[in-house]
Amino acid sequence: MAINTIQKGLRLSRRTLLMAGTVMGLNMMVPFSMAASDEVLQSRSYVDITSLDPANYLNAVDEDVMGAIYSKLIYFKPGNKWEWELQAAESIEQVDATHIKFKLKEGIQFSNGFGEMTAQDVKFSFERAAFGENPAAAADWGGALEEVEVTGKYTGVIVLKKPYQPLWNLALSYAAGNIISQKAYESVGEFTNSPPASSGPYIVKEWRPKQKVILERNPDYYGEPSAYKEIHINQIDDEKTAEIAFESGNLDVTRISMSSVQSYRETPPDNSQLQVFPSLFYVWLGINFENPKLQDPRVRQAIQYAVDVPSILQASYFGEAEASTGIIAPGLLGHRAQSLIAPEADIAKAKALLAEAGVSNLELSLDVLNKATNVTTAQIIQALLSQIGIKVNINQHEAGSFWTLGSEKAGERWKDIELILNRYSMVPDPYYATVNFITSQKGKWNWERFSNEEFDQLNEQAQAELDLEKRGAMYQRMQDLMEQSGSYRFITHEAEPLAIRDNVSAGLRPDGRPLYRHFKPAN
Amino acid sequence: MWLFLLRRCGLAVLIVMLAVSALYLMIHAIPGDPASIILGPRATDEMKAALYIKMGLDQPVYVQLASFFANILQGDLGYDVFSQRDVTDIVLEQLPWTLALIFASVFWAALVGIPLGCYSALHANTWFDTLTGIVSVGTIAIPSFVVAIYSLLVFSVTLQWLPAIGAGEQGDLLSQLEHLILPAFAVGLGWVGYISRLVRASMLEVMGSNHIRTAKAFGLPSRWITFRYALRLAILPTVTLLGVGIGYLLSASLFAEIVFARPGIGKLIFDAVSTRNYPVVMGSVLVTTGLFVIATTLADFINALLDPRIRAGR
Repeated sequence: MAINTIQKGLRLSRRTLLMAGTVMGLNMMVPFSMAASDEVLQSRSYVDITSLDPANYLNAVDEDVMGAIYSKLIYFKPGNKWEWELQAAESIEQVDATHIKFKLKEGIQFSNGFGEMTAQDVKFSFERAAFGENPAAAADWGGALEEVEVTGKYTGVIVLKKPYQPLWNLALSYAAGNIISQKAYESVGEFTNSPPASSGPYIVKEWRPKQKVILERNPDYYGEPSAYKEIHINQIDDEKTAEIAFESGNLDVTRISMSSVQSYRETPPDNSQLQVFPSLFYVWLGINFENPKLQDPRVRQAIQYAVDVPSILQASYFGEAEASTGIIAPGLLGHRAQSLIAPEADIAKAKALLAEAGVSNLELSLDVLNKATNVTTAQIIQALLSQIGIKVNINQHEAGSFWTLGSEKAGERWKDIELILNRYSMVPDPYYATVNFITSQKGKWNWERFSNEEFDQLNEQAQAELDLEKRGAMYQRMQDLMEQSGSYRFITHEAEPLAIRDNVSAGLRPDGRPLYRHFKPAN
Repeated sequence: MWLFLLRRCGLAVLIVMLAVSALYLMIHAIPGDPASIILGPRATDEMKAALYIKMGLDQPVYVQLASFFANILQGDLGYDVFSQRDVTDIVLEQLPWTLALIFASVFWAALVGIPLGCYSALHANTWFDTLTGIVSVGTIAIPSFVVAIYSLLVFSVTLQWLPAIGAGEQGDLLSQLEHLILPAFAVGLGWVGYISRLVRASMLEVMGSNHIRTAKAFGLPSRWITFRYALRLAILPTVTLLGVGIGYLLSASLFAEIVFARPGIGKLIFDAVSTRNYPVVMGSVLVTTGLFVIATTLADFINALLDPRIRAGR
């Protein structure tokens, strides 16, 4: 009776209801695929965007999106070499150590009628990022910017307080180098994820928090129209979920887990291919320089020699990552061709060093983030160190707890650090890595509490060095000093395995990060 | 009845306040510095201090807690300094996805579980009863994430009938329903077993009671006895279970949100705890605790409506 009443109310006969149900059912039987269209690209990010304001960006995904919707003076080219080329700039030239002249291309339009990009917009954007409160954007400029002098509608000079070479790789060609429209910004005041105007080939159509960012073709773009009508960047934290989504045809491109690389290589999902890129991350075993148990350098060196890096690469990275020689990845300025200590363990030497130091029955803690790869690596280190008589207790931490372990501001836990398995992110300038290990970073991000006067001096000098060869040599020497201290056993830079649909020509940086404006359908 | 309702509502408010206060103290007790996590390695001490002031973390914990409750009275759950948005907006954006998932899961589980339990009770000790017993225990025993992964592999990867990720296009109900089927199936499957076993046990107990025997002796039709008298009482434990279950599912939905890459309140809380984003944690937990308490209060209320003995406090 109740059903009849509902049916009458809805003017729905039982036959219609059944037919509608059948149609819905059949509709769901049709193979479901959102991806593989020449119009829409389905991609994936591991976190949600935080801010699309270049002066307030926080993570790499913010820059993935900003790189598609804004323009910079220069940008990293897609390909397998770290090289930049002109984007919004028609020309750019370092006149001397503290002056960089630039000229903008004419006719670069901001969307929503905010007019042409001028040198005043460059000044506004750069000074806002460099002098703002956001540490990422401000640090990219390294406290070096004095001002941007506007010398004409399209011309200007970047004036530095001090020579600062990381500017090229950290500021101008990365997130804090994106140029926004002053007029558009002033029309809205603050903005985070709804940019009032864009100058890139895409604009933000919609941001669905914790779901996706949808970019669409910018009708006002000054250059060749974008290859895709829309790009959907789906936020999927879990790599296994991303793999299922790729295999079911819901994604066109995604990073996959290291454990799946072999199966994707042998039997890739239909119409797709696997590409593995060298990542810039650096992973190392840190040994606390100041801990009473580890103050004898021979004990630290014994640990360095006892850790067999190839075993870790095989077990934790499934043989898909290479051993690192330091904190600066291959292809970057300052990369060392080889480390001072070979990646393979030398147990005899390790035992001899311990005996020489008169240490026996040593028991140490190893702090580690509770991710599968890290825990596996920690377990291998535990087994390896047991061979030289060191007992290791593994302390697993969740992210929030782990990332403040070495911070003096966050309590007293930094005093208890003995061994620590760590992994830092990196952008393509060596300064970004070395700055974490200077003496003033003790108790902040230098958790090994390593301190070396020569290292600190070189870090300062290398920032100012214009000669690339000399600058590279300085960074190599700095990594030698780190290794000689006995506080670091360098492990790997990991790898970036990507599954890519055959009908997608992916524009990627050498480390596999997406440059969405360079994605296009493959013909 | 009104007194009963008033008493339950007062208790509900107290429970929410206690739960939120306890969580507030706990989250401040665990190690982790939000400024370091949020701002990253290159933040200066001045930048961290500025963030602390923005987040109100420079105040003593009891002051923070008092101001949190004072703001709630004005309908303000706080401000997220990461995204520079109101916590209320953030929570309200995510909540409907979780509620849709929970209600869809509970709805289909009840739709299948209640008739299954009734039929098993009315045909106790038959082959059908044995079979439903085995299947029910089986569905309870299989972890939901296993169901989720296998259903994805079968229906999304192999058959490609249903989407693997996301929550569907906004404004497109069919698309949202398609995206809801697998998560709701995974979350709800175990509940089918729970509900059918519970209904069966209650029905068997009620069917043996005096008033049912009397009704049978008066010659009332068996369908009338089953649905009018027996099920009305036998359903009470199930209503209570569903009330508690909705609260449980608020947290259990996290796995579905991760495996199916769906938005939702579970994932919001998880991410916020990892980054020590206190305002978002507190706002989200307040809302979920409130919902849990509302669901259990509602279950009590329905039980009171169905059973006069509860209303009378007997």
